[in-house]
Amino acid sequence: MKLRFAWIFPALLLTGCLWAQNLNDKPFVIMAPVGNVQVRAGATKDVSLDFRIGSEFHINSHMPKSPLLIPTSLKLIVPASVIIADVKYPTGQDESFPFSPDEKLNVYSGDFSIDALVKVAAGTAAGTYPIKGELRFQACDHSACYPPRNLPVQFQVTVVK
Amino acid sequence: MAIMAMLAFGKYARQERKHGPIKLVGNVQGVRAPDFTLTSLDGSKVKLSDFRGKAVLLNFWATWCPPCKVEMPWFEELQKQYGKDGLVVLGVAMDDSEPASIAKFASEMGVNYPLLLGTDQVSDDYGDVQYLPTTFYIARDGTIVDKMTGLLERKDIEDAVRKTLNAGAHPVSGQQNQARAANKAAAMKALEAKEPGRDELSAEGNTDR
Repeated sequence: MKLRFAWIFPALLLTGCLWAQNLNDKPFVIMAPVGNVQVRAGATKDVSLDFRIGSEFHINSHMPKSPLLIPTSLKLIVPASVIIADVKYPTGQDESFPFSPDEKLNVYSGDFSIDALVKVAAGTAAGTYPIKGELRFQACDHSACYPPRNLPVQFQVTVVK
Repeated sequence: MAIMAMLAFGKYARQERKHGPIKLVGNVQGVRAPDFTLTSLDGSKVKLSDFRGKAVLLNFWATWCPPCKVEMPWFEELQKQYGKDGLVVLGVAMDDSEPASIAKFASEMGVNYPLLLGTDQVSDDYGDVQYLPTTFYIARDGTIVDKMTGLLERKDIEDAVRKTLNAGAHPVSGQQNQARAANKAAAMKALEAKEPGRDELSAEGNTDR
């Protein structure tokens, strides 16, 4: 009898913890998991990082039309034997919104991908190397804007011989 | 009791932020607006309580916020139009930009009201301002009349300004409105009873608000 209701207390604790989160935190952008990235020592590989923007939002592209607008940018921290040789951002779409009917903004909406060219130094030992970083973006909906956010980005590179 | 304790923990933890407790939560109408001291673009310190007795339009905005820029010319117009009635517009810039950049932006926009440099503390105090623009309308007695988020129509903003001007220490109550209407009707009746061509309406009876 006692064991039957033992689950109630952890459930209520979890409920309290969930309520403790800021209910205003919206999932503006989420990242799809990155599959296994295998690279030979001395080689390069294009890694596609896939993101999805919430349907009611848009974010500035990497090249917004005004210097005042906060661009989407990816920063990655890599181990010593790995470098990010290039980061390719998608082209944004020019769109007008109710708050700027006469001025188009260059934005991302829906799904978009950023390609990171990973280069592994020759002679790198076989193994798994973590790549971590963050995607910085600033989102708006049809009538309001939200402060810039940083989305954690991480994947692993497996160096093979 | 355990259930209540756990739910209370959740509510408390939600209110505690890394910068301290949020002072404005939920329906803020009638709540006293948290006082603050912020730095203006010219380096002077500005306190909200400096404007007690005035109706304050407190606008949270940022240079990276396109909807915010739509409203600012309206605020400039309303400041000119209602400043003589006691309206004060204050802009709180929630920017990471340098003050010089904000000042340049303000100059190009023709902003005619004080712009203050926002802080995490004032954002927390005003309910963890996350949506920009967010505007609080504060009556002459320092209580909040309304809070609006997102870009609205100019008319909605002006309606809120007029409501705020009439609220607080010098509110126009329902009874006062009826008294004014009665006085006006009496004045009109008296005018009709006089010889044609004479116009002796008092300033009070001739004022539409």
